[in-house]
Amino acid sequence: MGDSASSDWHVRRSLLRAAVFGQDYEHWMREPAAAPSVAIGMLVDVREDSLVLDTDRGTEFFELSPTTETWLGARTSPTALRFGDPVIIRHRTPHTDLPERRVAERIWARIGRVAGTIVDAYGSEFLVDAHGRDRQYIVVAPAASRQIQVRFPRLAPGYLIDVIGTRHRDHLLAVTPATAQPPYHAGHSPAPPMVNGHVAMPVSGSAVWHEPDGEPSGLLGLSYPAIDPEETGTQPVGGTGCVRLPYLSLGSSVRIRNECSGRAAMLPITSEGVTARQFCDRCVKCGTSPKGRVADLTVAAFVELGGSLEDGCFNATLTTRTG
Amino acid sequence: MREVQIPMLTAMLITGFAAKSSYLMQTRTADARMGPTATFPLGSRRPAAAALCVIELALGTGLLLTATYDWASPVSLAVRVAVTLLFGTGAGALWVMRARRPETGCGCFGELSITPVGWRVIVRAVLLCLAALALLDAPPLHMPASAGQAWLTLGLIVGEIVVIMALSPEVSQLMLRLSHADPCEVREVSAARTQSALHASAMWRRYRRFLVTTDPADIWREGCWRFLVYPGVLSSRPVEVVFAVHLSGRGAPVRVGVVDTGTSLPRRDPLPLSNAV
Repeated sequence: MGDSASSDWHVRRSLLRAAVFGQDYEHWMREPAAAPSVAIGMLVDVREDSLVLDTDRGTEFFELSPTTETWLGARTSPTALRFGDPVIIRHRTPHTDLPERRVAERIWARIGRVAGTIVDAYGSEFLVDAHGRDRQYIVVAPAASRQIQVRFPRLAPGYLIDVIGTRHRDHLLAVTPATAQPPYHAGHSPAPPMVNGHVAMPVSGSAVWHEPDGEPSGLLGLSYPAIDPEETGTQPVGGTGCVRLPYLSLGSSVRIRNECSGRAAMLPITSEGVTARQFCDRCVKCGTSPKGRVADLTVAAFVELGGSLEDGCFNATLTTRTG
Repeated sequence: MREVQIPMLTAMLITGFAAKSSYLMQTRTADARMGPTATFPLGSRRPAAAALCVIELALGTGLLLTATYDWASPVSLAVRVAVTLLFGTGAGALWVMRARRPETGCGCFGELSITPVGWRVIVRAVLLCLAALALLDAPPLHMPASAGQAWLTLGLIVGEIVVIMALSPEVSQLMLRLSHADPCEVREVSAARTQSALHASAMWRRYRRFLVTTDPADIWREGCWRFLVYPGVLSSRPVEVVFAVHLSGRGAPVRVGVVDTGTSLPRRDPLPLSNAV
């Protein structure tokens, strides 16, 4: 799975870079952006032992096993899924000589996430500026209200919110907080410490995920918090962010490694990580991340790297080609 | 000797205005580094910070222009009373801030004033208020009558500067910033500056004859390097000439590579000696 236009773009830039420097082209192309173990599509049919998905590659079949975990707002049975549900599957091939036989390991249905600045609040309903994406409408599920209120004590305009839930026609039904609320207003994150010498590589921090908004659903890539201001033509919204990272451009490649699963991949930068810059939080999966958000991955990239969407983040190390 | 407070207070006001307005223009926001305005509602912070800048500029200029006026003249008296009120209010606001927003800097000199408000800053504001109070009935500023008086005035000014510096946490911030330069990978460098550096390089002069146009087809940045791609023709075949310009400043290295358009293989450098690495 991958987006050919974006892939071509970053491959071309890698090639042009190699024409100048020569030495590391192969190293950086050894792990091209691909998500062979991820499928994204609409549910066509589900039975006790199998599931049929309509994806951009056509109709695909996946076996279900007793260990298959399904999420639809909470852990559930695959039979709870309905025709037309948007589904993301991480699968494996148990027999290498039978590549067409694929077993679903994890299934997420209707999952969505909204991170941004609260613009308006009406009781348990919120309008959120998702920083560069369309404004999002959140309804907090009554059962999750207390849990979200504990992690986000200031549910008022100007403060940040980041919640995960299930997608419905015009809103996200929030069922779990994705992080704890920063104590500062949006755009007022503390300045990162000054850098002495060069930025040390790799950088360890938190990798989160975002929903596609105008991007292909299976796009492999990430939103990077430190896009060259010359490229965006504006000063970065919310300052330089909480982590000092080298300036890169859209189409540049970075290497992301999931420290929890051990999986790694080369990914192209496909958008600016405005939201990631706003949150000076830590990921607490498999230990506490040393720094804040270093990458905001697309759904396909996050799942391919072994992340659990309902967790919201994983501890990651990011390596860039700089110097 | 009270009249020597005029240049001191003028310098403080104008410097404060310059530092605050520079920070406001850079960030286009007003945050906790803007001092007491951080206690205002979010929407009022920037206008309040801008108003404070204007007041400081107006009073600093007014103090300077009325320096030779008699203290009893209405304009001079109004300016001096306003300066006293400004520093007095400032001292009070800092005292309140220390109790209510202990993590916030005083914002007196923009982003240099990020150290949380402590007793030194409050004492400085009180001393400046006392200096402004002493000005209320001070005689007009005039040239020293003798060399001895000139030395005395100079000594007084130097002494006051030393005291103010000792009470200013901004000095250590300034020293830190002057001794620190962001590494090239996190430094903002304009594309225009990069192109100027490229056009001044020997690489550009050597390869320019192969280029179809001098407008880059693609520009991107990777840390300390900015890449500029130009369409070109080499041996009657279309090529892409890519320049990598290091962003370390003037005289920075420039490297070059050539790729056949539409293929995935780098082309052998036609001028190999030019690309010594």
